[in-house]
Amino acid sequence: MADTIVTAVGWSAKADAVEAGTQAADMALTRLLPHRPALAMVFGSSRFDQARLLQGVRSILGEVPLAGESTAGEIVSDGPLNYSVVVWLIASEALLCSLGVAEAADRAPREAGQQAAHSAIRGFQGPRKGFVLFGDGLMTRYADILRGIQEVLGTSTLIVGGMAGDDLRFAQTYQYANERVLSRAIVGILLGGPIALGVGCEHGFAPISKPRRITRARANILYELDRQPATSVYEEYLGSEVVERMRHTGFTRQHLAYPLGIQCEPSDPRLLRNVVSFGEDGSLLCSGEIPEGAWLQLMIGSHTLALEAARRAAQEAIQPLNRVAGVLVFDSIARRKLLGPRHAAMEIAQIRQVIGPSTPLVGCYTYGEHGPAGSSATAARTTIQTGSVLVIAVGS
Amino acid sequence: MTKHFWMLLVGVLATSLLLLSTDVGLYALALGLIVIGCLVYLTTKMERSHRQLEELYRLRTAYDHLDQQAKLIIRTDLELHRIQEELDRQLASLMSLHRLGQQLQVSLRPEEVFSKLDAEVVTNSGFTSALLGRCTESGDLEWCSLIGVNPAIAQQARQHLVQSGLFNDILTNPAPTVLQATLTTDPARRTLLELLDVPAVVTAGVIPHSGPTGCLVMGMARSSLANPKADQELVAILTNQLTIAIENSALYETSWGAQQALEQKVQERTRELAAVNTQLMRVNQAKSDFVSAVSHELRTPLAAIKGYAALLVNGQFGSLTAPQAERIAKVERHADHLTQLINNLLDIARIESGRVTMEHQLIPAKEFFTTVEELVHPQLEAKHLRYRLELDLKELVGDPQHLQRVFVNLLSNAVKYTPAGGSIRVHVERKDSTMISTVSDTGCGIAPEDLPKLFQEFYRANDPVNQEIRGTGLGLALAKRIVEAHRGRLSVKSDKGKGSIFTITLPIPEGSSEHSGKA
Repeated sequence: MADTIVTAVGWSAKADAVEAGTQAADMALTRLLPHRPALAMVFGSSRFDQARLLQGVRSILGEVPLAGESTAGEIVSDGPLNYSVVVWLIASEALLCSLGVAEAADRAPREAGQQAAHSAIRGFQGPRKGFVLFGDGLMTRYADILRGIQEVLGTSTLIVGGMAGDDLRFAQTYQYANERVLSRAIVGILLGGPIALGVGCEHGFAPISKPRRITRARANILYELDRQPATSVYEEYLGSEVVERMRHTGFTRQHLAYPLGIQCEPSDPRLLRNVVSFGEDGSLLCSGEIPEGAWLQLMIGSHTLALEAARRAAQEAIQPLNRVAGVLVFDSIARRKLLGPRHAAMEIAQIRQVIGPSTPLVGCYTYGEHGPAGSSATAARTTIQTGSVLVIAVGS
Repeated sequence: MTKHFWMLLVGVLATSLLLLSTDVGLYALALGLIVIGCLVYLTTKMERSHRQLEELYRLRTAYDHLDQQAKLIIRTDLELHRIQEELDRQLASLMSLHRLGQQLQVSLRPEEVFSKLDAEVVTNSGFTSALLGRCTESGDLEWCSLIGVNPAIAQQARQHLVQSGLFNDILTNPAPTVLQATLTTDPARRTLLELLDVPAVVTAGVIPHSGPTGCLVMGMARSSLANPKADQELVAILTNQLTIAIENSALYETSWGAQQALEQKVQERTRELAAVNTQLMRVNQAKSDFVSAVSHELRTPLAAIKGYAALLVNGQFGSLTAPQAERIAKVERHADHLTQLINNLLDIARIESGRVTMEHQLIPAKEFFTTVEELVHPQLEAKHLRYRLELDLKELVGDPQHLQRVFVNLLSNAVKYTPAGGSIRVHVERKDSTMISTVSDTGCGIAPEDLPKLFQEFYRANDPVNQEIRGTGLGLALAKRIVEAHRGRLSVKSDKGKGSIFTITLPIPEGSSEHSGKA
């Protein structure tokens, strides 16, 4: 008889970390019965004492392989959550999974990516179906991490994941690997066996400004556009007053409503970058890598476009699967802020409508997503995204 | 097309002349034609380039115009976003406050109110963290709800608030206050912001009429407030809700306490009444036992008195003189009266003590009332009274002997108190599962003040008519006991001087085959 993939979700919003972890894990395990978990993914608010949170989860799950991260909000079927913990359990007799961890990933990101991938494939036998990556969302050279991973796993292995958040405090994020709580690290799960993955990644933003050439940029700092300071170009569109206000108000909807769309080749999908802060030298600190020489346009979003994108991503994710056992969502915190509470709940409802109300749904709000962008993308085109919704369907 | 044709023609001519002519003049002409052709070609090219440049310029201008329009769209959209964000936040917070209000309404204790604050209210109101605490009896602060703050940090914040005096400031100034890291210079306030790791907080006291009971601290991630007044208003609404809920729950607690005390008193009184009732029942039982015992003791000598009186009357001890016979007859009459009195007392005592069980048998109504009439017929005849029986019932259910005593007693009374020539009526009918029987007369009636005591033992109305009529004062009391032993009721209505109506209601048990009809 063919092995069946079964998943279950549990969550808790209890204030005490141990109690919350225990309750969420217990709920997931109860819902999974009579199956036994082969893998656990945990997404928790950074407000919890992280070690105690994992202590609570593992008190119920025991030695089940566990990976996860802190978030900027959690997601379950009923909609977005705050200050809670969600536990996703996957049961399958023949599931192959192997954890790869690399610490101090901000110092040598490429090597960290290679190290995590190497440790994951060590002892892993069988075809690789995908690599789910959790990493520190405050790291700036995330593209190098992905390059490092791809150098080891090859471009045929699907790499998907989300960057850990810390409830918009931008101070410290956490990654989980079994009983360990890490920071400035990456944790990946290499999956194989009877599992099948479907991925959809969309943002729904449309270009509105004329294209400008990125004439000077390094890592995630954009210095010049058409040989002019990047901030002045930004001000041209948004107005100096608004930009001045944005300098002081932190991460608001105004920041997120007009992300930067980057296109290296005319046929490439546009990658989104959010402006995180403004440099004194007229530069813009962005939420992902900025390639010099590429074209940049200001993008515009709306509730309707964002909701359509979520629906499209869900449809793309479930399309290659015969049977969907569960869905993992990495949704940009930028989208949640842009949509507001009511529409953020509607976005999750859109996904749920596509995958079916009885399919377990779990996820979190991230500081960045990585997956193949656009509906025609291949595994080799895994890129860093921001402002996107990444839907990963798990099944057979 | 024409221009190209001519240029081509001139070119061909010029080339032919150049190749074929040997004449210098023709040669020069050919060269001239070539130069002219080139000039024409260049002019044409320049014209085209100029037109293309003009088109390019036009497109560029249109492109710039579109870009300018994009800027306008973005700025308008930004303003819409700003308004939408504020509206979303206020709407979400009001909805959450409404929901919280509903939850608070069902809080039964003030402590419960403090634990009801949840993450939804806090985040929907645009805040990232919240601490809600209440004053302890020792004047300290105890957190009851923590949102987005871990307990260790909350503990430090509590100590800081109490020790720095900020807690007292909040309690003495209940209006919400905004503290911003960028505007606050006070070290104590800055420390609070640092502890909670937020750039701004709104603090407010929860102060019902009874005095300060707690404080609310709400933190936000925004370093400067876009609309501090709106934030203060939201926190004010929230603290008002908490305050009202605390007052309501305190009122509930008070009324609940009073109700509990009342309930306890009712239970105490019920217990006391039950004890008194038990005692009364014991006393009543003792009385019945006493009456029963005494009656038994009296019956034996009474039988001897009656026996000897009968022997004397029969002349067993010699003939009696007229005065002797008259006195002996009186002795017999009084002995009979005393016997009847004792028998009635004994019956009452037996019924009260439960030693007598009433039979429940079907009694043919016609025969029953015929017998009753026969028993009182001599009395009716003696006083020339009219008697009418209206029987709308075939059968009644009960103990025939005892029920006969009841009706004979009521009819005897009616005969006694109805003047000669009057009338007595007995009406019997069935209504649902009850037999209703009335014995009415046109007698002297009963005074209203005597009615409540009429069924008490030995009660006789203080009435001149009554003085002339003999009676034990036990007949009605016994009749009432017998009817009640049948689970029925005996009642009386009377108009003084017009007559009385005694009503007997007796239940007819379910399943009785009784059918009403004219007998």
